[in-house]
Parts: sequence; C-alpha cells; structure tokens
Amino acid sequence: MTTSALSDIRVLDLTGETGVYCTKLLADLGADVIRIEPPAGDPLRDIGPFWHDEKAADRSLAFLHNNTNKRSITLDITKPEGRAVFEKLVATADVVAETYKPGYLDSLGLGYEGLCKIRPEIVLTSMTGFGQTGPHAGYEWSDIEGVAMSGMMWLAGEKEDPPNRPYGNQGNICASIDGAAGTMMALYHRDLTGEGQHVDVSMQEALCINQETAMMTYDMTHRIASRTGARGLIPIDLPGIGIFDANDGQVFCYLGTPGGAPWTTMVEWMAREGKAEDLTQGENYEMVQSLNLGFLTALVREPEKLPARIKVLAHMREIFARFIASFSKWYIYEEAQKQRLMIGIVSTPEDLAKNPQLAARQWYQKLEHDHLGAEVTLMGPPYRLSATPWSMRRRAPLPGEHNSEILGGELALSAGEMQRLQAAGAM
Amino acid sequence: MTGKHNLPLTDIKVADFSWFGAGPICAQNLARYGATVVRVESEAHVDGLRGVMPFAQQPCGDCGGSGCPKCANTGRVTRTGYNVSGYFNNYNAGKLDVTINLSTEMGKEMARKLIAWCDVFITNQTPRMIDRWGFHYEELKKINPEIIAAYQPMQGFDGPHRDFFGFGAVLNAITGYNELSGFPNRPPMGLGTNYPDYVINPGHTLIAILAALRHRKKTGKGQCIELAQLESVISTLGPVVMDYNENGRVQTRKGNRLSYAAPHGAFRCQDITWENQPMDRWVAFGVFNDAQWRALVEVMGSPAWAADAKFATLEARRANEDELEAKITEWTRERTAEDAMALLQSKGIPAGVVQNSKDVLEDEQMKARGYFEYLDHPETGRSAYDGSPFKLSKTPGSLRSPAPLLGQHNEYVCREILGMSDDEIAEALVEQALY
Repeated sequence: MTTSALSDIRVLDLTGETGVYCTKLLADLGADVIRIEPPAGDPLRDIGPFWHDEKAADRSLAFLHNNTNKRSITLDITKPEGRAVFEKLVATADVVAETYKPGYLDSLGLGYEGLCKIRPEIVLTSMTGFGQTGPHAGYEWSDIEGVAMSGMMWLAGEKEDPPNRPYGNQGNICASIDGAAGTMMALYHRDLTGEGQHVDVSMQEALCINQETAMMTYDMTHRIASRTGARGLIPIDLPGIGIFDANDGQVFCYLGTPGGAPWTTMVEWMAREGKAEDLTQGENYEMVQSLNLGFLTALVREPEKLPARIKVLAHMREIFARFIASFSKWYIYEEAQKQRLMIGIVSTPEDLAKNPQLAARQWYQKLEHDHLGAEVTLMGPPYRLSATPWSMRRRAPLPGEHNSEILGGELALSAGEMQRLQAAGAM
Repeated sequence: MTGKHNLPLTDIKVADFSWFGAGPICAQNLARYGATVVRVESEAHVDGLRGVMPFAQQPCGDCGGSGCPKCANTGRVTRTGYNVSGYFNNYNAGKLDVTINLSTEMGKEMARKLIAWCDVFITNQTPRMIDRWGFHYEELKKINPEIIAAYQPMQGFDGPHRDFFGFGAVLNAITGYNELSGFPNRPPMGLGTNYPDYVINPGHTLIAILAALRHRKKTGKGQCIELAQLESVISTLGPVVMDYNENGRVQTRKGNRLSYAAPHGAFRCQDITWENQPMDRWVAFGVFNDAQWRALVEVMGSPAWAADAKFATLEARRANEDELEAKITEWTRERTAEDAMALLQSKGIPAGVVQNSKDVLEDEQMKARGYFEYLDHPETGRSAYDGSPFKLSKTPGSLRSPAPLLGQHNEYVCREILGMSDDEIAEALVEQALY
C-alpha cells in the first residue's frame, strides 16, 4: 500500500466545467472525492466527443478524463431531503469545491458561513469567471470569456483574424490548477492551526499572468502589445525560425538561440544529407556563420546593408524549407534535437498518442472500464512524487454509482430514508 | 489570526535554483504565502529574462524642447542594466537574491550549504545542467535527508528524449497546442506566448510541492518531485488524445468554435483610436443553450434573419455557422465592445471584451479585487506585478518586497543563512564564487 498525500482528505465535488479538473487533481493525489451529481443528470456527461461516438451518460471522454478516482452520488441539494443528506456529508468533509455563480450557495444557506456552522474547519474552494467580489462578480462566464477578459486571447493569432482562443479550455484548466493549489495551501494552514477558510479563484485573474510581458509592457512603457501571428516579433521571413512543412506535417524551428547549436551545425547536417545546395559557399556561408539572435537584433541597425542581407536570408530560407520538406516531422525533430538544434515537432493528437518519450516513460494509463467492456487509455501524471505518488485507482464513476456505498453504508441511512430520498426526487 | 502562522508557509525555506518562467513563478508563490525564498543566480549564469523587454523607463532629463535626439520627444528614456526588466521582476518579487557561481568549487560548497538549510529545492534547469552541478535528488538527499526537491525538466530524467531541449514556444508545438489552436486556414502558429511557463507548469509544481510539504509535516520525510513539462501539459489535454485512441479521430484546429455551443467566438466591434491609429475591438461570447439563443436574438432586436429555421437549434446553427457569425457581426460592429458585453450580460449571456493589456490593468473588476500588486523598486520605480493566483480569506498572501537586484542579498545570505565569516565572504569574492 503506497502512501498518498491526501488520503485523509474528503472533498465534496459540486463543480461544473470550470472546476472539474481541480477535483481530479485532488483525487489523483489520493483524496476521497465525492462527485455530487444532480439526479436529473450531470451536464458534464453531455459533452462530446463520446467513447465510440455513442452518446450516453457513461461515455463522454471529457467526463471519463476529468473524474478519475472520484466516487459519485446523485443528490439534489435544493430539496430539503437532499440538503439534509448533504449537511451530513459536510460534517465528514474537509473541502467543498464548487463553481456556482457567487451568492448561489449563500442563498441556500450553504455558503462559507453556512458550511462553517456544520463543519467549522471546512475549506470552501470557489472557482468562477470573475471571483466572489467586485462589480463583475455576477457576470456569466464560460471558458472563452475568461481568456478574453484576461488579456491572453488578444495576443494569439494573425492581426487580420479574430483573436484566437487557445485550445483546450485553458480558462477552466488554469482556474482548476489555481483552485487545487489554493486548496492545498488552505489545507496546509488548517494542518498548522485547525482553521479552515474560503478559497476564491477568478478565472480572469488565474489567466492574467499568461499575457507574458504584455501587462508589464503597458505598465512600464505605455505600449499595447498585440498579436503578431506566425511571424512573431520579427517582421521578415527568416530561415530556421517559425513553422515549416515537413513531408507529413509541420515542425516549429528556432535556430540560433543561445544554448543551442549554431547555424553551421544545421548546414553540416544538410550537407550530410546532400541537401545543402549552395549554402556552403561564398556570401551564403558567410551568412550561415554569422546568423544568430544577436545578428538578427543588429540586422536593422545598418539599413544600407539590409537589402543584400534580406536577399541572402530569403535564399537560405528557401533551401532550409526544401530540406525540411523532404523528410518526415519525426525524423527532423529527433535528428535536430540530437544535434542540439532547437526544433520541435508540431504534434497532432496522433503524435501525442504515439510519442516515444511518453511510451518509454510508460506515461499513459490503461484502465479497465467494466461498463464499456473495454480498456481505456487515460492521461498519466502531471508530476511524479517519489514518496506520495499520483495514482490511478479507479475509473470515472457512473451516475450515482456509490449511492448505497456512501449514503447507505458510510452515512448509515436506513432503507426507508433512502427510499424517501428517491421518492422526493432528491436522489 | 496572529502569531507566526499568520501565513501558511512562514516556516518554510526555499532554495530557488530555477530561471526563466516555470520555476521562478512557482517559487514566487511560495514566497507570497510566507516562505523565505533565496533565488540563486550568478553573473556567470544570469537569468535570461533579466535581458528581455520590457525595461523600465525614466524621464529623459535632457529635453530642452523639440527635436530631442535622446528620447525622440517622448520625454522618456529606457533604463539599462540587469535590474530593470519587467519580465524578470514579475516572477521574482518577495525573494532574496544571491549570486553564487556554480562553476567554482567554493560556489558549489556554498550551494551545498544552502541545500542543507532549505526545506524545498526547486529548479527547471535541464537534466544536463543537473548532471553537471551534481544536484540530482540522491545527491541532495545526502546533504539534506528531509529535503523536498522539485525538478521541472522538459521531457523528464529518462527516456530517449531526455536531453531534448526547448522553451515554452517549442513546448507549445510538441504538446499539440499549435496544431489545435487557431484557424484552420492558417499554419499552426501557436498562442503568441510561451504559454505553459506561466500557469500550467508552475501551478502543477506548486500543487506537488504543497502535497510534499503536507506529507513531510505528517511524517518528517522529504521526497523527489519530477514534473516533466511535456507530461504536465498533455495531462490537461485528455479528451483530444482519447478521441484519437478510442475513436481514431485526429482533431485539428477549428478557430474559435466549440462543438457544444453556437455561436462561439470573438466578434468584431467598433474600432477605437489608440495613439492616432485605429485599433480593432472584439467581444467574445458563446451560446450554449436555447434560452441563451433566444436572449441573444432579443438583445439584437429580434432581426428577421434570426427567425429562420437554419438558426433554430444548436445543430442548425453549427451547420450554418459562417453565415451566423457574419450576421452577428453586423450587430456587434455597430457597438463598442464594452456596450456589447454589458448588453449581452444583462440578458444572462456570458460575454467578455477581448481585453488588451491596458484594459486589463484598468479593469474595474480586477481593481476592485486588488489583483495587481504595485511595488516600489529602487531601479524601476513603482510597477505592477501579477497578483495571487487565488485569494485565501484568512491568510491572504502578498509580495512583501519587489524583485531583488542581482546579488542584492549577497551579504545577508552569506552571513545569516550560510554562516560565513567576513574572511570567508572576502575569499568568496576573490575566488569569484560570490559572483
């Protein structure tokens, strides 16, 4: 039996999309997370794509991913019968995690003050679009409003296109990561003092630091950084910098960066493959020898030499592009990296699934899903802890799968009480 | 609450051997909640961010009227040196800074003393650099058996790609963000930033460190944390990888659209003028159900086109999304982004302005919540720092000092933490161990 960091922690999980990854993080570190689903159905179970494209409550891939290691009960906390059971659970819990609009739980008497009356040392973790306080606390949100209002969306995409929303619900992910970190911080404080507290995460704030330097740039220099698209900050097409086509996909290149091999290494490789063309000669080779980030920074300082240099750079880029285009993306990525040339594969989901590094480190987790009669491959750990390892103990639950185990067993409700709950539509 | 546990990490000591984004941001959050964090740098190995824009400015001073060659009549000139980068400063406030040159024997000995002192060691240096320093967990444990050592290698400490290298933008490509973000008619250009450096990797690391601290408090035992940045990012991308594994589908980028909402995206509003140039403005929103769709139609004044059957259901709207977006843009183009947001929100439709950095710094919500922290710094003056990633009601964390100057706390760290005598400090200076 391995130790886990949160084996003594019980979490009641009332989260929607904004916070469901937070409670997964806690569950995967060993917490007993009880997902409380509305008897009418958990909206997260309706989000596709579905396993084998079969829409059913046990087949949403996002649900299977985000609810590993959790148990599930169905309970309507707005009905008196359901609420009474919820209060019994709160009395046994360490953390309540939720993503309702600010004030909603208070309106039920189950906000932080209400929970404290039942369990004074409770930690309440609230993850919302804009936080519990302030003039926009009542605003509606989903992921895209968070990334928009945080400033990060403004920075992605081509100038003439709409700003690009980053893939993968990054607002929900970042709010959840910060929610889990805030919860852990509050638990550490509780361990020291016995005192619980309210953890308030605003998706907008959680994302704000993702603006990179834009915030500080405005603060320090009064300049508004805007999206610059595929070319980035350097306004001309350069060899070895940016996205290039391989014969089966793309790679991202950033040659000449400090710590990496110089352009001469690149040209030696091209020559070995018989594809350096005229880059080993004359003014082309002179450029190869001098091309690095410092050179690029200095490029515009001698405008009289600029046209000739741009011509050579454009020629280099053509040859470089032809070289990349004659190999596969995996070959370019692995061969370049072995020579410390900074090139990364532009991975498709298939590449992620087949990544040899992840395979060698046995990162993906295969888990039997008895209800599907199949094994499903799930994501592995974000971190490996040597003494209290992340673990995959249990597949995502079916709706109410643990009603009897938790309510009948652990809370010792009688058969009659269970029936009354069901009859009231509270379970 | 009073007393020494006013902040949860008051008793925790951190040796921060990281640089750039993912490590320093994590250590900064430990400092924010009370930890004593010693950031180790060296002039022989300066954090690259100290040399990256933006740099603080100062009044020109030479402006005698028009045609000032020094400041081009802006009245402001850029400061220079190691200590004026907003990029570096934003991730290192609240820390002590010592310059220890690890390429000297004496520097290595000083580092070992710091490792013996700390509770938490953190670094995002490459496995090659950890090899060179001799700072693997097994080695640190010999110096400090209870240490919590957190590493953030890009690919992990083993496997065929162990020594592959990169930075955030390369990771964006390798993890699939590039392939999956943006518009399908564009190359997979990425997110415009080194995205995983700022929340995904430092945030996951913070969770792991707090788990380890909790375990140590219960058992007295430390441990090793290995966060491979590749794994940390892909662990958040479950559904799209599962869609390939379970369904054989290879998803790619779809612009701002979402399978379970329509419309869903950013819509062009009235331009504004900024510094005599037009600037585009956008409002982002999504319609996830029929009630929100009816509300949107009402907000737009119930135009005739919206009554067409081809927009009646989510499936129908998704099938006609190009036309739908064009029609909605006719409405948003007539309004400021702020007005569009307020109108949509007033009817219960989630909506937000695609804010730029100026908007964010002036955002009334973030101001009301006191998100940004403004700190006075000896070389940059007063500047804004990103605030806490979460608010704790009883133990609110804050940055208690601005970002340190390079080597600002050399004397304090040598004397008070490493217990060095005046003679030893002098020797360290001569040997360029303190450098």
